[in-house]
Amino acid sequence: MKKSMQLNFLTWVGIGLLLAWSLIPIYWTFASSLTPSTDFSVRPINFYPVHPTIDHYMRLLGISDGHLGGVDVAGQFRHGLLNSIITSSLATVICVVMSLLGAYAFTRLEFPGRNVIFYAVVATMAIPGYAVIIPLFRLMVAVGQMDSYLGVTMIYVSAFLPLCLWLLKGVFDTLPISLEEAARMDGASHMKILTAIIIPIATPGIAAAAILTFIGAWGLYAVPLIFSPKITKPLTVLIPEFAGKNFVDYGLIMASGTIAIAIPCLLVIFLNRYLIAGLLAGSTK
Amino acid sequence: MSSQTTAFAPRKGGVRKNSDAALAFFLVLPILITMIGLVFYPLLSTAWDSLHRVDPLRQGTPFVGFANYTRMFTDQEVQQSWWNTFKYVVLAVTAETILGVAAAALINQIKFGRQWVLAAVVLPWALPAVVSSIIWQWIYAPGAGLLNGVLVFLGFNFENHLWFNNSTSALLLVTVVHVWRMLPLTVVIVLAAMQSIPVELYEAARMDGATRFDMFYKITLPLTRGAIAVAMTNATVSAFNLFDEAIVLTLNSVETRPILLQIYLEAFKKFHFSYGMALSLTVTLISLAISLGYVLRVYRNTRMG
Amino acid sequence: MPFSKTKLSFAFAALLLAGTAQLSFADDAKPFAGQTISVLLPSPQDATMAADFEKITGIKVDLQTANWDDVSIKVSTALLAGTAPADVTEFDWSWTGQFSAAGWYIPLNDAIDKDTLEDIKGSALFNINGDVLAIPYTNDFRVMMVNTKHFADAGITVMPKTLDELVAAAKAIKAKGIVKYPIGLPLSASEGASTSWYLLTKAFGGDLFDKDMNPLFTDKESAGYKAMSFELMLYKEGLVDPAATGLKDSDINDTMFAKGLTSIMISGEPGRLGQFSDPEKSSVVGQVAAIPVATMSGTTRSFGLLEGLGIPKASTNQGPAKEFIKWMTSKEFQVHNYNNGVLPTRTSALAELEKSGKLISGEALVAQAPTVEALFPAGAPTWYPQFSLAVNTSINSVAKGEITVDDAMTKIADAVIEAKKQ
Repeated sequence: MKKSMQLNFLTWVGIGLLLAWSLIPIYWTFASSLTPSTDFSVRPINFYPVHPTIDHYMRLLGISDGHLGGVDVAGQFRHGLLNSIITSSLATVICVVMSLLGAYAFTRLEFPGRNVIFYAVVATMAIPGYAVIIPLFRLMVAVGQMDSYLGVTMIYVSAFLPLCLWLLKGVFDTLPISLEEAARMDGASHMKILTAIIIPIATPGIAAAAILTFIGAWGLYAVPLIFSPKITKPLTVLIPEFAGKNFVDYGLIMASGTIAIAIPCLLVIFLNRYLIAGLLAGSTK
Repeated sequence: MSSQTTAFAPRKGGVRKNSDAALAFFLVLPILITMIGLVFYPLLSTAWDSLHRVDPLRQGTPFVGFANYTRMFTDQEVQQSWWNTFKYVVLAVTAETILGVAAAALINQIKFGRQWVLAAVVLPWALPAVVSSIIWQWIYAPGAGLLNGVLVFLGFNFENHLWFNNSTSALLLVTVVHVWRMLPLTVVIVLAAMQSIPVELYEAARMDGATRFDMFYKITLPLTRGAIAVAMTNATVSAFNLFDEAIVLTLNSVETRPILLQIYLEAFKKFHFSYGMALSLTVTLISLAISLGYVLRVYRNTRMG
Repeated sequence: MPFSKTKLSFAFAALLLAGTAQLSFADDAKPFAGQTISVLLPSPQDATMAADFEKITGIKVDLQTANWDDVSIKVSTALLAGTAPADVTEFDWSWTGQFSAAGWYIPLNDAIDKDTLEDIKGSALFNINGDVLAIPYTNDFRVMMVNTKHFADAGITVMPKTLDELVAAAKAIKAKGIVKYPIGLPLSASEGASTSWYLLTKAFGGDLFDKDMNPLFTDKESAGYKAMSFELMLYKEGLVDPAATGLKDSDINDTMFAKGLTSIMISGEPGRLGQFSDPEKSSVVGQVAAIPVATMSGTTRSFGLLEGLGIPKASTNQGPAKEFIKWMTSKEFQVHNYNNGVLPTRTSALAELEKSGKLISGEALVAQAPTVEALFPAGAPTWYPQFSLAVNTSINSVAKGEITVDDAMTKIADAVIEAKKQ
């Protein structure tokens, strides 16, 4: 008994370290965003904002003078936030729907080239963006989809399809097949089986894939930098602009960083149950 | 990924099978169109360019065979970045695998608050690489930085310590940022596998008087081997693609420059376009080959074990 | 109240602009009215630029901005793909050789008259074999920037003219404990470290290349060699912040010089004087002055690093794009744009600002301007990026103690030889 207490204690020490490792940098960003610029030069440093201020946020959201060298920070910021939400959500929906259909075909239907196609798609995860960016750029210009929501979204989709498909195939592989076989006997079509039987049981797995795609798309930088020059410019591209050539403002960067983190944070916290359940779909023995 | 499950058993009669294949084709079509249009076609185009001399500053694009590929063997700068990248890959994959398995095992042990712990652990992965690199730059900063601040608080003389003036510590700290961002993926993949181990196995082992550590080595590790290989594949591919962390923290420094930054400089700054493309295809092939190595090893061990 | 002050000056400038615009464009029938052009420039730009231009010409401007490094990525990606990044783009002096060899930009000779060429002397930097590929809109010749209060506190009354006096002043400031690290000098692997070394090479009385573009810096007695040894000495003596190995020039300007943590910017950008006088961004208002670059001999030297506006060949709106370039490089706009920290490229605009007393540190700038040389008299070579990368990564490695000055010079010279071969 005593031994297991010790082990328990050790476990929680380990968990504590793990939490510290994961959360301290995020805490530090948040703390810095509340620290007035003048306090950044205080030594030794304070581990929490001694004179907390929301000044950086006020400037970011345009409540006080949001003009930074002639740029309307608040307006750009709102636009960027909206773009991030639109492109990430669209990409998530398209990616998940495609992967659902694909995963069904890859796990439940026999067809020539099944394995080849699946592994070829998954293997594209190893391709660095630079290997395809120029031909892709030519293509997007040729079809007139530069800086369009559709064009950017489809590039996001092509980036996350492999992961999404791989995850959903894994989930579909582990689902009990007996229900489907019964439905088949009753003459249900494949589409009926997918929508009426598989999707309801696979909801947690689908949610997990969706969240992974959303978070991944939210964090993209190089792709939107090239393909979203203006109309569709997301938050990730906008934030480094505050580190412009003429003026470095760490307070502003940390505040906008905090907001960029906030949405994925909220998502992880509120959808945590699905995320975890989905990723642990294998445990439904 | 379970390999035991198969599709429905082959059905009687050819008609059903043909209609299945037609349906399958229809279902896979959106994926095919997207991937062919946006990934495979551009990739082929790049592969074609890499066999030519595509340099906008010079006339014509003559066919040069594998010259762009052999050139990297005599290019010292490129060799140093390859070397840096291999260091990043070894360090990051080792750290992510060991820490990731340990973290997954820890989270697997606790009953109370497991979801919240996992949610917190997943967070770093939700941040854009550029944002997390800027955050860590702020942490590593010599004056206002948290790292030196903590060390000073603990009584060490680190007030203005410069972590990036030493190539070893610079390389390590860049790796730390990358590991911080990518560790959650390993934790999640491995934990999922641990959760799917039947409880009965542990109970049987306990009856036989096995300790918790015995169980970890004899049951947990062997049964999560497949998931670990998948996680290592992910870790390898992302370590080969390390870019943002290096450019934000150490700019163009040769001592920490990864191959992907070298590719960027070759293709987009010096306009040695086809050379850059040959390098990027080499990165793809090497990271795939290494990943295949893990996967095959795991399958062979599983079959023998 | 800085808020209302900025607003007021904006309104005033707009009024001025509207007035002059009517004069110079009154006869134009607005031939391109209703058309739209895209413009890609580093952020931030003048807030009302697009609207002002549309009011005058009827041409709509789709202004795209990003930070400087990202603008460079966007320009090269689009050009490599054979398309136009925008109808009007940023065109850095360092791109001239490459872009000319690739034939990516159209000559603007017909868009500028002789008087303008005379007035904008820096346009020579963008002139390759008679083709003017871009017209400079922001002037960035280098001066030294000093914190006069630090100098006064250290009892220094005469501004340094020679490098020895400069070092003596820095040592005095450090000895008095006024600041810990009196000299601001970027030693990171970034462009700012390269340009600082070029400036010091000039200050040591030499040049980087001979007229056949052979490296002049490998000899121990050469100015380039001495300049790098000088940088290493400043760093070793503790006159330069040890953290400089990780700092870009903009970091040093914003987080050190503007905060009064350093006293001398070796390679100072006059365009920043406005920022240093803005209490919102600077805690050294009223303490900053430009001085002519101190040199070994005492005779000042400098060079210009200009940014221009160019039109890619692939642009389909070249007519209205030329109108935009003419407008943005006009004297009126340059005078107005000085409020945004952009130093005019026109001698006449500089003179007007100086006359009206608006030009901060006007005396020093006017003294420095005639001494401005071109870094590469025949335009930046096609291999400039290789050269510059070799320079700043070597400086960075030298400062970190990874290699010696001798190694660095050999590495840079080798990089040049290698790059020229291709």
